[in-house]
Amino acid sequence: MTDPDARPQSGSGLGPATGPETSPETGPARGGGPAYPLSWRLLDAIEGLAALWPARASGAVKWALLAPALALVALLLWGLGVMADASLREMDFRTYRLSEDWSLANYARALGSGAFWATARRSLLAAAVVTIICLALAFPYAYAMTRTRSARLRKLLLVGLFLPFFIGQVVRAYGWLIVLGQEGLANEALGALGLGPWRMLFQYPTVLFGLVQYMLPFAVLMLAPALAAIPEEVERAAESCGASWPRALLHVVIPMALPGLIAAALVVATLTLTDFATPAILGGGTNDFLANLVYDQFFRTSDAGLGSAITLLLTLAGTTVAGVLLAAAGVAALGVRGAR
Amino acid sequence: MTDLSRRRLLTTAAALGGASALPFGLRAQEPEKPAEIIVRAWGGVWVDSLKKGVSDPFTAATGVAVRHDLTEDNEIKPRIWAAVDQGRIPPIHINWDTTANATSSALRGACEDISDLPNLANVLPLARPIGLDGVPIVNTYAYVYVLAYRPEAFPDGAPTSWNVLLDPRFRGRVALYNDGIGFHPAAQIAGGGTLADIPGDMDACWEFIAKLKDQQPLLGEDPDFTAWFQNGEIDVACTISSNAREARANGVDVAWTVPQEGAKVDTDGMWIPKGLPENELYWAKRYIDFALSLEAQQVWLDGLGLPGVAPGLTPPADLAGDPSYPTTEADFAKLLLVPPRIQAEHTAEWFAKFKEIMQG
Repeated sequence: MTDPDARPQSGSGLGPATGPETSPETGPARGGGPAYPLSWRLLDAIEGLAALWPARASGAVKWALLAPALALVALLLWGLGVMADASLREMDFRTYRLSEDWSLANYARALGSGAFWATARRSLLAAAVVTIICLALAFPYAYAMTRTRSARLRKLLLVGLFLPFFIGQVVRAYGWLIVLGQEGLANEALGALGLGPWRMLFQYPTVLFGLVQYMLPFAVLMLAPALAAIPEEVERAAESCGASWPRALLHVVIPMALPGLIAAALVVATLTLTDFATPAILGGGTNDFLANLVYDQFFRTSDAGLGSAITLLLTLAGTTVAGVLLAAAGVAALGVRGAR
Repeated sequence: MTDLSRRRLLTTAAALGGASALPFGLRAQEPEKPAEIIVRAWGGVWVDSLKKGVSDPFTAATGVAVRHDLTEDNEIKPRIWAAVDQGRIPPIHINWDTTANATSSALRGACEDISDLPNLANVLPLARPIGLDGVPIVNTYAYVYVLAYRPEAFPDGAPTSWNVLLDPRFRGRVALYNDGIGFHPAAQIAGGGTLADIPGDMDACWEFIAKLKDQQPLLGEDPDFTAWFQNGEIDVACTISSNAREARANGVDVAWTVPQEGAKVDTDGMWIPKGLPENELYWAKRYIDFALSLEAQQVWLDGLGLPGVAPGLTPPADLAGDPSYPTTEADFAKLLLVPPRIQAEHTAEWFAKFKEIMQG
């Protein structure tokens, strides 16, 4: 945890103090005692506490550290279990209560519904299209951000990356209503050129456009660390061996950035597949995704059974998408040690 | 305090005093007042009118503060149901709800019986729910799903039929509610069917809606209609008259009509979830009872432009004689009424069919 070569030991019983007499945190030493930064002392105190942990229980440390994450996963699984139970019970609309008996009726209703297949097709297509476009746009952005020698440009790109996170998805979608509306800025500009007005809102491409704008920062955020971890020397080495920059990019940088690309694809594809707000706001009511269908069942028709069935089918679709991506690239592509 | 507001306070106190003359359960003494009661409401003009006509006078007369919870009616419902099932105190005291939606809660057994409201004896029969045991809901006013339009798009005068929605001129410029609510009976008649065939045979309705799908309609909720008219996105829509009136009040050039086929009339109401402490239940009933009084309804429903259930209301000047403001038996006879219980029992089926057409 601490590196004895990097800093002197404090008076924690581990050795004589040999550190500096002054520090920015403590100021000059008084009374002849050792003066170390407060943060060092705190770390030493924590180390002291760690010594109290029984050696026999050292194997439990990793589980203790994992406990919060495991609790969250358990909560998620518990919720899915409740949903699975509800999905097997049919709603009686004379009493608005779910049946006592289990059946597959809700799954039959969902899978026999044209609305389900239409929204599923729309969601899956969006997940594919938005992911491809986001990766194509995010890669050069992240590459420029990590490779530029201009601090000003890097700051500008960082601001461009993080600014959208401060503006919620709903606000951004409403922004597009103003820009792309029949009397919006885009149509005004077209009007000045003697064109339009064109109906730009409430179409499927507009929903995709809104999703790309929303998902792009996520993709950049996932890609940037992967690109930053590739030493520039590797590119130079490839070029010194005769590879042109595009060849070096294609055969060296992109393969080495694969963990970031796969992670970005996973995040963008699953978030797009399960998105609710953008199709609801920019879709005009006729471009719903599966998440909108789930909302409708839970809240508009109060049919928790059918809503749960569609939720589980959506979860299955998301898991399949993630599985296909990982199967195509291999888990090792995520940089997971020991994975094959 | 102005003379008008003083007079209003006195009439409010009289209305509430009249109610307390026949208290719920013949109480000798009013139970303890809660710090506040929570009323779920719709936003915009809806909550503004409720506040002005009911909540503020109620607080002034009783000292009980009223908080408005603007959670959507559909979204608060599962929370209330869960609280009632688990024996917890529900998240609100009063749900201002569509009668059809409230009926689903009544069928589930989530509503308190409020048949002992003193003002129920003084209101029109419309206030009492049809086909339910006891009085789990009281209807507070009626409203009509009119054909709203931009006069600029209709230079020859108001449209006379719902068939105008199929006019190719308006392709991409028509709008409905995103669950089809309010449109089924109109589509049934416009499609050649009859009201009596609902819910047994609604082929005419679905065929009309399928034709309308080719018109690329926009599907939204109350605030969307105002925004769409305002932003020039649509020319014609099936919406509640209050939304069209609100848009017009905001300077949007919108008019509305009840076409020759008629228009769906519906009611909204108020109900109290089971599980409130006794004293809070009492004051929640007092609130609803006051909402039924002539004094409260006159101000509240003037704001909404809707006909109430208290006899003797004066229609707003701009709505006198308007077919979307029915006040007599003859007025109601021209409109299309589907009993709330039938709506509640078929909502999911109709919704699925509507989605099937619109999302396909």
